[in-house]
Amino acid sequence: MLNPQVRAIRLIEILLLVSAVALFAVGSILGDTFFLRLATESLIFGGLAMSVDLLLGIVGLLSLGQALYFGFGAYLSALVLKEVSPSFFLAIGVVTLSSIVLGWLASFVALRSKGVYFALITFGLAQVAAKAVYNTRSLGASDGMMGVPILQIWTPFGVVDAGHPGAFFIITLLTIGALYSVLKYFLTTPMGSIWHAIRSNEDRLAYVGYKSKEPKQVAFILAAVVAAVSGALYPMLRGFVSPELMFFSVSGNAVVTVVLGGVGTLIGPILGSVLLTSFKSIIGTWTVHHHIVIGLIFVVVVVSAPKGIAGLLTKYFGKNHSHKGGE
Amino acid sequence: MKNMEVILKAKSLSKRFGGLTAVDDVSFAVTHLGVTSIIGPNGAGKSTLFNLLSGTFMADSGLVELDDQNITRMSPEGRLSCGMARSFQITNLFFDLSVIDNLRIASQALEPRSNLFLPLSKSTIAINRANELLEEFGLQECHDQLAGALSHGQQRRLEIAVTLATRPKLLLLDEPTQGMSQGDTQDTAELIKHLGSKITVLLIEHDVDLVMDLSKMVIVMAQGKKLAEGIPSDVRANPLVQTAYFGEELA
Repeated sequence: MLNPQVRAIRLIEILLLVSAVALFAVGSILGDTFFLRLATESLIFGGLAMSVDLLLGIVGLLSLGQALYFGFGAYLSALVLKEVSPSFFLAIGVVTLSSIVLGWLASFVALRSKGVYFALITFGLAQVAAKAVYNTRSLGASDGMMGVPILQIWTPFGVVDAGHPGAFFIITLLTIGALYSVLKYFLTTPMGSIWHAIRSNEDRLAYVGYKSKEPKQVAFILAAVVAAVSGALYPMLRGFVSPELMFFSVSGNAVVTVVLGGVGTLIGPILGSVLLTSFKSIIGTWTVHHHIVIGLIFVVVVVSAPKGIAGLLTKYFGKNHSHKGGE
Repeated sequence: MKNMEVILKAKSLSKRFGGLTAVDDVSFAVTHLGVTSIIGPNGAGKSTLFNLLSGTFMADSGLVELDDQNITRMSPEGRLSCGMARSFQITNLFFDLSVIDNLRIASQALEPRSNLFLPLSKSTIAINRANELLEEFGLQECHDQLAGALSHGQQRRLEIAVTLATRPKLLLLDEPTQGMSQGDTQDTAELIKHLGSKITVLLIEHDVDLVMDLSKMVIVMAQGKKLAEGIPSDVRANPLVQTAYFGEELA
């Protein structure tokens, strides 16, 4: 029998996939725009949360500035689409390669420290970048950049119009799914085991033959790529980017999403993002003070289920596991 | 004779912490195979000496040589690849990972680095080594248990298993029987004796009777200095050692 956490992860994967397919089918039939675009947005921010979870839940590094890479991806994608060519694959490719370089450079600064200091440095780096963008006229300064063209995306099944909410929802689902698969793959390699070992007891690692620096660097770069590629989808959905994408509220929100969904599960954060985005939207139609309600929900979750929804499921499966006497 | 060949050599090692000289001009040599022990009262500098030998701290002065290679400034992971492994006095494992994962991660250094990014199943050497250790140390029952959930005795055993994963030629054991019951201590003593027949063991131990029984050579430390060195019976008979370590009334 699979271990409880693996079962919880599998259940969330299936749940999300089934809901996505159902939403796409129903949404397409009814000609819905609102819910499909809301779901697309929740997947995009889910990708950001997943990158936070890679660092926090797997390697044990709390990043409070992951919005830096998200915003970088969004701006670069908008620039490529507007100024170079409105090509989905060109934008994603450029963002992937550039974020590898950016992540690599930033890792030298951020990984000099651990714990609280790592959190503060990542926070600081993102603040500096956000302020720089906010004050750069050629990037639209505080207004951001508008007028990102609607894409025609080439696929083996013909050209897809990204302006169609259902079509772009599927494109986003596939992209975030691909990022998730890449991260899942890494977790099945010895590199993934070393990340877990770093989270568990970093000082011990040297005595089993590994420096912790390089594995942390690999994870940091990978997290930057995941955040940046998720960000690259944003202007394709919204048609604009703004400096707010790099602000602390975005980084902080991603951490909240991870905690709500379940730290260290990668899929939990996607579920967390879907739930948070839905809550915000639903509660937002009742009251303008929806942040208070979200805050209360967060407090309740942290107190009653510190490992998030995935943690609750793991616990449930764990109980069933022992009831059946380790069958 | 190979048995008389020196594997580890320390030359005038010193380490100061502020005003305190924790290890003061200590020199000794460890020969191939068998168990060599370092004993001494609390605060004698044994653990600091161990940390200098294993690369946890860097010496302020002096030399450490492993098989005639100067490793004084080498990192712990470098020393491991030269064939030196160590255990810790305070159990130091990957507590929130399973027993098998602890062993597998410890065995991973046997694999080429290029395997780091391939699926785990390709690292067959590491997987086989982990299973071998699991059996050798009687931990099969706890295969999937978290290391943090094991009993103290099991954790101490796992600690030794983890240090043996890369098949080191020199093993540094820092008080392996610390906090163990009488029965577990006896088992561990047997284990150390057995290990000593295959590889070189350098041991720090509090239990003097255990040391005298196990060791071919004993090094006695007191106040950061080497006080005496020799075969167990000579060391036991040394009046200096008796005053410093065994207490006045025995002297």
